[in-house]
Amino acid sequence: MNKTKNAKQLIACRQCDALYDAPMLKQGQSTICTRCGCTLTERKVDSIERGFYWSLGGIMLSVPAILLPIMGVTLVGQYHHASLLDCILALIDRGFFMIATLVFLFTLAVPVVRLLGAFYITYSFKFNRLRPSLLHFFRAYHHLDNWAMLNVFMLGIVVSMYKLLDDTELSVNMGLLAFILWLICSTMASSALDQDYIWQELENEFVD
Amino acid sequence: MSIKTAQESGLALCPKCHKLNDMMQSSGNNARIQCVRCHGMFYPRKPRSLQYTLAWNVAALLAFIPANLYPIMILYSMGIGDPNTILSGIGEFIDHGLYPIAVIIFTASIIVPLLKIIGLFLLVYRVHTGVRLRPDKHSKFYHALEFLGPWSMLDVFVVALLVAVVELGFVTSVAAGPAINYFTLTVIFTMIAANSFDPRLLWDKKQGSENTKEENDY
Repeated sequence: MNKTKNAKQLIACRQCDALYDAPMLKQGQSTICTRCGCTLTERKVDSIERGFYWSLGGIMLSVPAILLPIMGVTLVGQYHHASLLDCILALIDRGFFMIATLVFLFTLAVPVVRLLGAFYITYSFKFNRLRPSLLHFFRAYHHLDNWAMLNVFMLGIVVSMYKLLDDTELSVNMGLLAFILWLICSTMASSALDQDYIWQELENEFVD
Repeated sequence: MSIKTAQESGLALCPKCHKLNDMMQSSGNNARIQCVRCHGMFYPRKPRSLQYTLAWNVAALLAFIPANLYPIMILYSMGIGDPNTILSGIGEFIDHGLYPIAVIIFTASIIVPLLKIIGLFLLVYRVHTGVRLRPDKHSKFYHALEFLGPWSMLDVFVVALLVAVVELGFVTSVAAGPAINYFTLTVIFTMIAANSFDPRLLWDKKQGSENTKEENDY
């Protein structure tokens, strides 16, 4: 077994455990595992700058996206509209506590916490305020990776619009615009974050 | 197969920060390791991955039965309730001629959960027995399953939106049915099941069976 190589100069595929020499990447380049075809490492362009501004925009947009009414219906002279928060409150009202909790987590809490997390991390990097606690913070950030479902909720809005269009008068409110922009910002913020780069920098700073 | 795995070289990959750690001497796959970079505890392979996947999968399958039998949504109009199950809701879309929406809902709430449950059963079976195991195909299949998971929540979000928006007192209102609880559980359980499956086991098993074959040849 070749043990002369330091573990530092090696990387392993997350999906199939194949071992490779760590490549030197320029911004915008990525490597692919030859065995299973997954992305091994990626070096993203301007990760910190882009992550910072997208997450800042996302944080600002989250308030109108949650509070403004997304759409409303008119039927026989009566009008009613609802926002994202109203959906959760309506579910609590009807006694569906489990669904209300999960909808709250997946469409409100997790995206907001992820945006705040991305903002804090990029802020610390941008203004050079790295602290050892960031190691734990960034690890906790990865726990939320799978559980943000804003894009699914967006498709839900489209489907229910079709459903309502059929037999009521549907009106679209400002909340929908805010929600779409919020979705774009949070998707861009999480895809702009360069995990490999951030972990490497944190390691150089604190571990050695 | 000339590719060496990290495991063979006595290294283990941290699942959170993707740092390679030295495995401690003679500890094997079941020893907890603390990552030198992020200080998180982890195992070289997810422990009892197949058992957990199987258990969550069975739970998902059980929850999927009441999810389809009970009404998911009750539409009140002039005080008269019209309960709809998932399937009859799709039938209504077809009656109204909204085929694209019917296809989307049918895919998200029937095909994807069933595909995930059956697919994970198949993966667990293949890894356990090693019969006709093709890691390259199967790991791609696993990633597709993992990606599709959250999209099953579509129906839950649609019901939540309709309950909140359509609230015009006596004229018309929408109430959620008991099936929504079971359906959400199905989705969550399949997501956890997919999460507890370790795709690296596919490659381990393949390599293990190839090694024994070579030994038998000699």
